[in-house]
Amino acid sequence: MIDLVGGVPLYILEFGDELVYLTPYTITLFLLALTFTVLALISQPEKQIDIAFGGDAYRAKEISVDEMRFRRFMAIACGLATMGAMVTGDIFNFTLFTAMVGITNVGIVAAVKSPHVQDAAYQYGLVALAATVPLFAGAAVYAAVTGSLSMIELMKGTVPAVPLIAKGMLMLGVIGEGMAPFYAAKAEMFRAPGAPYVIMCSLSSLLIFLRVVEIIMLG
Amino acid sequence: MIIRKISHFLCNYENIMPLFAGACLLLFIAGILLLPLPYSEKQLYPKTFDRNSSLDPYDRGGPPFTQVSIVSQYPENSPTAGLVTSYLTPFSLFLSQVTMHLGTTIVAHPGGIIDEILYNTRGLDTVVEATILFIAFAIASYIYRKV
Repeated sequence: MIDLVGGVPLYILEFGDELVYLTPYTITLFLLALTFTVLALISQPEKQIDIAFGGDAYRAKEISVDEMRFRRFMAIACGLATMGAMVTGDIFNFTLFTAMVGITNVGIVAAVKSPHVQDAAYQYGLVALAATVPLFAGAAVYAAVTGSLSMIELMKGTVPAVPLIAKGMLMLGVIGEGMAPFYAAKAEMFRAPGAPYVIMCSLSSLLIFLRVVEIIMLG
Repeated sequence: MIIRKISHFLCNYENIMPLFAGACLLLFIAGILLLPLPYSEKQLYPKTFDRNSSLDPYDRGGPPFTQVSIVSQYPENSPTAGLVTSYLTPFSLFLSQVTMHLGTTIVAHPGGIIDEILYNTRGLDTVVEATILFIAFAIASYIYRKV
């Protein structure tokens, strides 16, 4: 009996042992990530303008084509990783995609010529680096206790129950990728100019968080 | 008032890393206190070691081009699993014949062993792992060239 957490899987795509399954919940998240990736692909970056308070002076921040292309590449990579994390049916695969989202988020702002943004990105990168420890440890405990990594098997309830500590590790790992209360460094990264790409950082964390909530409710 | 203090502490992003380290520490202490965790004897990917093989940790056994029974979650999705248990380039084959330690050099020489279990049943994992490395390399090289 398949538990109705995110809805009944409508379609299961077979990738060897790693099934990709689509439920109404994951389809919604996937379409959101897809739409935003397409937006990042076709849109021009914003141009920030600083206006001197109380005067007529203003200063436009120019983004070079080279920088824009690199950031667009990273934003699209981030979108693809997010899409993968939304539909994957395998715990270890999910943690891999989450780690990839973390590193592409650093890449999106790595090209910005602002020391403040760079500092924030560095601090965020450290947290994302450390977050891989509980993330992959959680997946390892999943594998050890249940003997399987497939979410479909967890849904069916044919494997032993997942201990709370494994769910906690998985959750802490995802939270380290930029959810509250560890979001401050990420919020500072938003000072970087170039709107559609920077928003990708925020959207990917949000979607990953929504997905991990579904995953820890399985099994 | 307490929320204001907390958010004042958090707004300095240099405090985030120690806070996260503390959270990890608490969780791992809780994990140690909750030991022992039950270990499922019915593991999906069982591991057997043949210490006398030169491919030691990666040796899946079996004669070449004959299907070895390899355990997978959904065997019907990987009908060709077990036909090739490892792939060795001529150089790797030479190394495996002269030394007993080829299994320790899986990434240290070109054309090492492509682990068939990963390749055939968990192919997406290998692709994503390589992609993470590529992305990290792209960021590092971009920053290096920019400075």
